[in-house]
Amino acid sequence: MTKHQSGTVLTPEERLARRRLIVRDAISLLSLFFITVVIFLLTLLLYRSFKNHEQLLGVRWRARGERALRLGRPAEAIPDLRTALAYIPDRTTEIELATALAAAGRTVEATAYFNTLLQSAPGDGMINLQLARLAARVGNQKLAVFRYQAALDGTWNGHGYAHRRQVRLELAGYLLSRNLNSQARTQLLIAESNAPDDPAIKIRIAGMLVQAGDLQSALEIYRAVSARRNPPFEAIVGAGRTAYSMGKYRVAADYLGRALAQPAARKLPAAEQAADRTMLNNANRILILFPDINLPARARAERILGAKKLAFLRLTTCMAPPVTASTSPRSVLPSQKAPFASPASLQAGANSSLSAALTATPPQLTALQTRWNQLPRRLTVWNLARQPDLEQTVLQLIYDTETITAQVCGPPTGDNALLLQIAKNPAAVEQE
Amino acid sequence: MMPDSPTSSAAPTGNIADVPGVAPAPTHDVLLGAPPSSATPPAPSPARTSLAATIDKIAPTRDERLFLVLSILIGVLSGLLVVAFRMAIEWVKILSLGSAPHAGQYRLFFVPAIAGLVVAALVVWFFPAARGSGVNQTKAALYVYDGYISFRTVIGKFLTAALALGGGLSLGPEDPSLQIGAGVASIVARKLRLSRRRLRMFAPIGAAAGLAAAFNAPISAILFVIEEVIGSWSAAVLGSLVLAAISSDVVVRWFLGSEPMFRIPAIHSLRDPRELMAYAVLGFIGGLLAPLFSLLLGYLRPRLRALPRWTQYLQPAIAGLLVGSIGYFGFPEVMGVGYHVIDQAMHGQFVWQILIALVFLKLVATTVSFTSGTPGGMFAPTLFIGAMLGGAVGAFEKHFFPGLSGTVGTYCLVGMGVLFAGFLRVPLTSVFMVLEMSGNSSIILPLILANTIAFLLSRSLQPVGIFEIFSHQDGLDLPSMEEQREESALHIEDALQPVNIPIARAADTLKSVSAILAESHAKACLIRMPDGSWYSISSDELTTAAATLSPDAAIQLAIKSDRAPQLFPDMPLDSALHHFPRWPVLPISNRASRGAVEGVLTLEDVLGRYRNPE
Repeated sequence: MTKHQSGTVLTPEERLARRRLIVRDAISLLSLFFITVVIFLLTLLLYRSFKNHEQLLGVRWRARGERALRLGRPAEAIPDLRTALAYIPDRTTEIELATALAAAGRTVEATAYFNTLLQSAPGDGMINLQLARLAARVGNQKLAVFRYQAALDGTWNGHGYAHRRQVRLELAGYLLSRNLNSQARTQLLIAESNAPDDPAIKIRIAGMLVQAGDLQSALEIYRAVSARRNPPFEAIVGAGRTAYSMGKYRVAADYLGRALAQPAARKLPAAEQAADRTMLNNANRILILFPDINLPARARAERILGAKKLAFLRLTTCMAPPVTASTSPRSVLPSQKAPFASPASLQAGANSSLSAALTATPPQLTALQTRWNQLPRRLTVWNLARQPDLEQTVLQLIYDTETITAQVCGPPTGDNALLLQIAKNPAAVEQE
Repeated sequence: MMPDSPTSSAAPTGNIADVPGVAPAPTHDVLLGAPPSSATPPAPSPARTSLAATIDKIAPTRDERLFLVLSILIGVLSGLLVVAFRMAIEWVKILSLGSAPHAGQYRLFFVPAIAGLVVAALVVWFFPAARGSGVNQTKAALYVYDGYISFRTVIGKFLTAALALGGGLSLGPEDPSLQIGAGVASIVARKLRLSRRRLRMFAPIGAAAGLAAAFNAPISAILFVIEEVIGSWSAAVLGSLVLAAISSDVVVRWFLGSEPMFRIPAIHSLRDPRELMAYAVLGFIGGLLAPLFSLLLGYLRPRLRALPRWTQYLQPAIAGLLVGSIGYFGFPEVMGVGYHVIDQAMHGQFVWQILIALVFLKLVATTVSFTSGTPGGMFAPTLFIGAMLGGAVGAFEKHFFPGLSGTVGTYCLVGMGVLFAGFLRVPLTSVFMVLEMSGNSSIILPLILANTIAFLLSRSLQPVGIFEIFSHQDGLDLPSMEEQREESALHIEDALQPVNIPIARAADTLKSVSAILAESHAKACLIRMPDGSWYSISSDELTTAAATLSPDAAIQLAIKSDRAPQLFPDMPLDSALHHFPRWPVLPISNRASRGAVEGVLTLEDVLGRYRNPE
């Protein structure tokens, strides 16, 4: 008899049974362990096979989605990318899916998705940019600008410099579309200062600066690019057009002449070509009409007298009553009687009819008339060349006449139109 | 292969009354739809009883030693089986529904219906015990069948649930995983011929392991098993539960990684306490939706079960057809388990209108799938509906109040907890589940608030929990924590009486004590021992002692070596009951003052209190 640890006395049979029990338990545990190993191997097999298949499916669906996105079929890309995400969830695919949603016009879904993506990476430049575009699409200007700014300040995976420049230009474009030209100009000037020495980028910025109304900066960029060896046609023509818009007809004529002489000019649409040619002709004609301070006194006086004649004729035409009103004092216009008479004779002959029409004449024209009447009766080249003050008075009267008659009687044509262009900024005509 | 039972050769009677200690209640058809051979354990034979007695004699500590080792082994086995189960579901899904099921595909129509038909045939012909979710079956195994779950049930659950879920029926894999785990535990415990008491305890241990593997969240699994399966806090199994759950989770993480079934999005901490209002709204809506879901299931399930037996072949197929139609006509998201849809919702891929539609369509799809008797669980659909609801409420609120800091993903997570608390009635599990899955404690305040609102509202609208409803429909009456919450348990203080009997010291003589007792007309008196303990002596015991001892002898010579138990007023009243055969009067001590008696308790006092509980 053996005393067991619990105090119970075991018989030899019981001790034998105890040993058998221990052996049996050991075998049971071993067999359980063996079964566990077998189940582990089976599970591993099942797991590996599924994971490999899952990976394969994920890659395949993502490739399909990306292809559809590249081909501009975002609606097709959406289910493909969704499926890809179910198999291989990764951030790139998520962004692609959200982009596809946005491109497919599912703005609300795309916004919700991008917002969720943003929550896990608030500084992500790409997501902020996409959200900016979506906000712009739904007309939420404040949010759009905020998101664009966040995209500019955000992080980018590689090529951050280029991405930020692109975002800034996109922001500028958006601001221009909302007529926020001043803000757009600021962004463009920053972009320009950070831009690499890439003519295409510079030309794009210059074009947008023109839209923003900063012609001076735009012209400087165009001219800088045009000064390069083998300058791009866009820069030369851009410089010409911008200079023309600024009234810098000397520069405009120079650049437009160069541009139109290039073979690339012939590839422009016909309307654009015609417009450029007109600008060039106008610029050249203006340079002929303009009494440049650097001209000899006589030549300058001759140009002033020519311009004076044109301006006065324009005034009398403008002051004449409509042709249909036969009872009106304006029914017989001095210009109709003698269109090429001298200003002095015209002035004398027309006085009576003009005085009759005074009651119906706008006060601006009346004031002009008074100023014209105050000029000396006889103006000659010699007079003008000797009296700079008089020359200046006559010039100013010519410019004012063109400006006021354009306001009262509509835009002029021919040389009067060119004089009006000069009148806008006479100092710029010969500026370099 | 392991045998179903060491006594499997013995013909099972199929009668629950044959199991000792269990009253005959439900028939097998009603209970599990299972024939006796697979659903119920064989009755313990005299040979087995004798063997157990022998083992208890020759190796009394054997069970205890094996218990912890086996807990780990069961955890590992459960983890492996659950991983295999999940892979099987995914394979079936890809092979049957294709790699990218989308609206308008014809296969969406017929695949779930065919899957339903096959599953129904398998369940009716081979695996009747595999029907349903598995939670109540595991609970029944614990409380009714001595922890017995047959090998056939485990195999059947694995196969039929994998086919049903992979085929697109709207159910979840967690409850089957729980039952598979419990089944594995039951088989292992039987193989090792553990005692009946240990056998019973292994079922919940396996259940915790299975659920931990399915959720990839061991704490939640342990809490769920305690809240729902065991129905009470039991320190005896807690250690083993933890070991099993952790070891199964280790296995799952080794295979699938540490992430839960879906990716958790960024969660921002609550910036403004006023935002709690938004979560309260979510809790309120969840509290209304949960009873609606229960009501639908509770209404439809018995009616479908009452239909002729031949319809059981068709019910899952019709459910499949209905679910397939929902998928075909635009919402394939409701088909199958739906974890990837939860993932998408959490990452803001749906607008709130779609999310609302998914809430109600999933509710319908799950109701028909479950009530048709298809094997599958309720957890994943509950998480799905909760996530969609949370996402919808979050997206709606963020749309109108953009200043809210909570992300849609946060609302989805809280929504899952809300429906878990409201529908499954496991408030603790619901909180820990979300915390465990998110790995972020900053969500705790809105989570607790919303879950509490949902739980209380749901409970007031539908007092009986869903698993209890199913139990009652099956003719079972299983204990639950929900019941305990309703109980107003009596405590000792409720029956406590002032000290109205004499008190003597151990040094007093027999004569003096007898005199005091006679004078007071009491049936017993308390004796204070020198070490501060108490002895309660009856007049009969005193008389017996007086016959052998001198009247001047100290009373401590007359008393036995044991002492009156130390009881306190806050202890349950029933804890005093088993002391009365030994002690005529029980001294009730004061917790704050050792040795001081606050009152006394007699059997009459206790019984009187039970007769008039109010």
